[in-house]
Amino acid sequence: MSTPDHTMPSYPNAHVPKGMKRSHIIAIVIIAVAIGALVGSLYDSSTYADLEQAMEHPGKEYHVVGTLDRSAEIVYEPSLNASLTTFTMRDLNGKTCKVHLAKAKPQDFERSERLVLIGEANANGEFEARDMLMKCPSKYNEENKVNG
Amino acid sequence: MTEYIGEHLWAGQLGHALTVISLVGALLATSGYFQGTRTGQIEWTRLGRIGFRMHSLAVLGIVVTLFVMLFNHWFEYDYVWKHSNLAMPMKYIASCFWEGQEGSFLLWTFWHVVLGNVLIWRAKAWEGPVMTVFATVQVFLAIMILGVYVGDVRVGSSPFLLIRELPENIGLPWTAMANYLSAIPQFADGRGLNPLLQNYWMVIHPPTLFLGFASTLVPFAFAIAGLWRKDRTGWITPALPWTFFGIMVLGTGILMGGAWAYEALSFGGFWAWDPVENASLVPWITLVAAGHLMLVNKRKPTALFSLFLLTLITFILVLYSTFLTRSGVLGDTSVHSFTGDGMLPGLLLFLLFYISLSVVMLLTDKGQRQFYAGISVVMLAIGVGLEVQVPAILLFGAISIGMLVSAYRQGFISKEPEESLWSREFWLFIGSLVLLLSAMQITFSTSVPVFNLLLEPFDKVFGWIGDKTGSEFFQGLADAKLAPPGEAIAHYNKWQIPFAFIVTFLIAFGQYLRWKDTDVKKFRKQLAASFIASVLLTALGVYLLKYELAELNLIALFFATVFAILANAWYIPSVLKGSLKSAGASVAHVGFGLVLLGALISTSRQDEVSRNTRNMDLRFLNEGFSNSEDILLYRGDTVLMGEHYVRYNAKRQEGVNLYYAMDYFAAVPRNYTAGDTVRVGDMLFAAKDAHTAGKFFLEDQPAHWLPLDVFTRRELWHAQEWSSSKPGEQVFSLDPFVQLNPRFGNVAEPSTKHWAHRDLYTHVRYADMAIASDTADDAWMPDRLYDKHVGDSIITPTAMAIIDSVYMVKDSVTKKMLGAQYTVYAAHLRVRDLYQPDRWFEARPLVIYAGGEPVMGKAAELGPLRIRYSLATVKFEDGPVMGHGGPIPGTDKPRIAVGLNVAESEFLVMQAIVFPGINILWIGCVLLFVGTFMAVWQRVKR
Repeated sequence: MSTPDHTMPSYPNAHVPKGMKRSHIIAIVIIAVAIGALVGSLYDSSTYADLEQAMEHPGKEYHVVGTLDRSAEIVYEPSLNASLTTFTMRDLNGKTCKVHLAKAKPQDFERSERLVLIGEANANGEFEARDMLMKCPSKYNEENKVNG
Repeated sequence: MTEYIGEHLWAGQLGHALTVISLVGALLATSGYFQGTRTGQIEWTRLGRIGFRMHSLAVLGIVVTLFVMLFNHWFEYDYVWKHSNLAMPMKYIASCFWEGQEGSFLLWTFWHVVLGNVLIWRAKAWEGPVMTVFATVQVFLAIMILGVYVGDVRVGSSPFLLIRELPENIGLPWTAMANYLSAIPQFADGRGLNPLLQNYWMVIHPPTLFLGFASTLVPFAFAIAGLWRKDRTGWITPALPWTFFGIMVLGTGILMGGAWAYEALSFGGFWAWDPVENASLVPWITLVAAGHLMLVNKRKPTALFSLFLLTLITFILVLYSTFLTRSGVLGDTSVHSFTGDGMLPGLLLFLLFYISLSVVMLLTDKGQRQFYAGISVVMLAIGVGLEVQVPAILLFGAISIGMLVSAYRQGFISKEPEESLWSREFWLFIGSLVLLLSAMQITFSTSVPVFNLLLEPFDKVFGWIGDKTGSEFFQGLADAKLAPPGEAIAHYNKWQIPFAFIVTFLIAFGQYLRWKDTDVKKFRKQLAASFIASVLLTALGVYLLKYELAELNLIALFFATVFAILANAWYIPSVLKGSLKSAGASVAHVGFGLVLLGALISTSRQDEVSRNTRNMDLRFLNEGFSNSEDILLYRGDTVLMGEHYVRYNAKRQEGVNLYYAMDYFAAVPRNYTAGDTVRVGDMLFAAKDAHTAGKFFLEDQPAHWLPLDVFTRRELWHAQEWSSSKPGEQVFSLDPFVQLNPRFGNVAEPSTKHWAHRDLYTHVRYADMAIASDTADDAWMPDRLYDKHVGDSIITPTAMAIIDSVYMVKDSVTKKMLGAQYTVYAAHLRVRDLYQPDRWFEARPLVIYAGGEPVMGKAAELGPLRIRYSLATVKFEDGPVMGHGGPIPGTDKPRIAVGLNVAESEFLVMQAIVFPGINILWIGCVLLFVGTFMAVWQRVKR
């Protein structure tokens, strides 16, 4: 937009610089940005980990998959903090850990069959979850419970 | 064979038969149209037509059969049982139809049938090759709902399966019972539709979205047809209106999804970059790019390869999206993807076939074509046969990319001189490439779970690099367990805001450029007014919305969208001279600019007004308690939230919905008169004069308030806290609700107050679901029982109660009223307010015993602490000293055990967000739809 004078010869006898064509420059830029986006998506991606790995690297963000330990207490005291739920999670290896989730206790939390916690371990060996994905048995995949 | 009672077998048999007929019809159409195109013999084309008609009728039959089954609640069928129930309103039958995997495939197939028949009617000379492509797709889709086993691998999944025919049920004892339908209670009613999906959005959103997906096949088929017939430009004109039709419908479908999320789901916004949302957005972006390149190449083929690439890739991306969301590879990364159910191999084959077909068709050299086609088949055989799918796919991908480059070099290098920098076609080309990049970035980030699989063969390589360099990045890639970006929204915004900026900026001036070359003086003159106005409006926006320099990307996008809106609006009177005939593009561009502007303002300046509303400082309790994004509302309390006072009044049940009635009051300035005392922290102040409170006490204090030197504790407790405003008249009310569903879990649904310039969006995060018949009891949360002894204390969130003593009430009035057989006990509690630790209360709950059993009681409520104590049991433990039992050590007084119920005032936890300017987005949606419709209409008419 800022090109002040219009000296470019008009189509179809457009000026083509020797050596490198404009289309080549465009192609290089496109490929560079595409590779950048690919690396960027890999670079920004978080990592699935088990609790042990998360504990080894406190402060590093992980996705931890597991289940709710129903035998342990779920503490949610909204009158103290409406956005703090504390519970115990069991990861896929069976290791358990106390979790502080910075969210209100989700609807039907007790019924959840699978949790994905997004957060990091703290220095006390507890997991501080920023967010949580929860799959309930209801969604699309409830086992057909008809068995006479 | 058992003769089963009560089954409607004919429906399933009809369904299966029709599925087979639809497959046969599609195969017939494929071969007929293929031969017809190859040989040019009209008989073959006629056969193709017959095949497609047969297929169409069969698909219609399948749809009707499935509807009949759902309508009649034949729960012996798995699909009916899983997706419907008796209690569900009939209007949601359609939602049941496409809730499941099979039904949504059927919906997709159905739209292809509709579009295919329109093409048979309208495509004229292009019918043969275009319909060949259509028919092959229909073959794949028919197989997807066929549900047959090839060896151990199930191919597709049929909606006509009886529950007793499911693989997991075969051989179970009950399947041998002839009367199983009436004998087993589970068969009396289905599981029903997920409550999330029981709204009108679910009725209109999926059909629109799938029509959008289906319409991407039309330009794809035309592009393949063009390559096949070596007519590389002739296909563009007939494909163009279809492409913009697809842009319109798919765009509408996506935005409906956003509107649904915003209006009826509690995600807290209209777009969350969820994989399933991305999967529908990406093909739309490439379709838009393809459509615009068609405009370029229709005039003069200057970017033909890019056009083919984008047109072909759009449909491939639809297939890829289908693969991502339905094969189960996304796994834990999406909240609403389907689970696999063994669909992966079929979907993968579906996808790879069309990638392979596209590359084959792009190759111009016959030898190369055959080589590549051969390689594709070999790769497939190796991958399946040797179970090395991942390396085979990677190799296939690498060869395909190599072949694409070769195809470009051989057949598409333009001998024409390059376009002028001041030509419309050049910038349309650049814009399309930026759109492609944007689509690629979203695809990459959505595909992170796929990378985990694809990177597997390179574990050692990355591990080696990681060890050598010590780079965590490479160590992470080895044995990759990549998860989606933790901060998904920030990640996508980082990449997409620059892309959006370039695209909207191009949109702003694109139409002012002429084809071939532009008179720059005129161009600048035409754009000057819009440009200056946009700069001024951006400055105003930055001032009003308080954008900072660190948000330069947002400011830039703000400017570009405003510029795009003004320039395109100005185009209609200035260049088109007010003629609306060809104004479709301008209207659509204005709409697009508005959508982005609305999204930008509402998301960047969304205000979680429910955050940190409690004025009490909770940090002294625990450091983790400082940051609460939700508001806690005790019933009946009126609390300042954002610019309004909110009061939670009552809850009521209507059907399956539990409504929480919230009233909102205007915040009006508080007036104080001379002599009023207020409390600020631990101090009391007296008003010097009558005045209206300002925003902050510290500003008011020197002029209007005198600190009191002497006051009692009691005075301090009873004094009102200073506040700048007070609730005025009620301005509106909102009823967010929770849909109760014991089978699927309760679902919170938002309630939103709409103004012209902003929305207040609220939903319940946590609440007591119990509806008590007695409204008095309703006002309290469920009791929590504490077993304690006299002298113990009970700590609850707001209060600490010390059980001072328990005594028998012996006054004559009580005795006389109750009679001699009753004994009354009272507990004396001293209760400390944990928020103001020097503030003490007393409570004396009573319990009445008769014959050694508690019969009734009288609770003690402490209003200011919002707590209620009720005495459940009193027990004198005068047995031997064991544990807690027995007399108090060192005395002969019996230890007294008390059961004390503690309840908090009923409350709920709510999230409230103000979205400013969201109506700009919705207006933009409408204009985008209208503009695209105008453009399509003009092209169809021509």
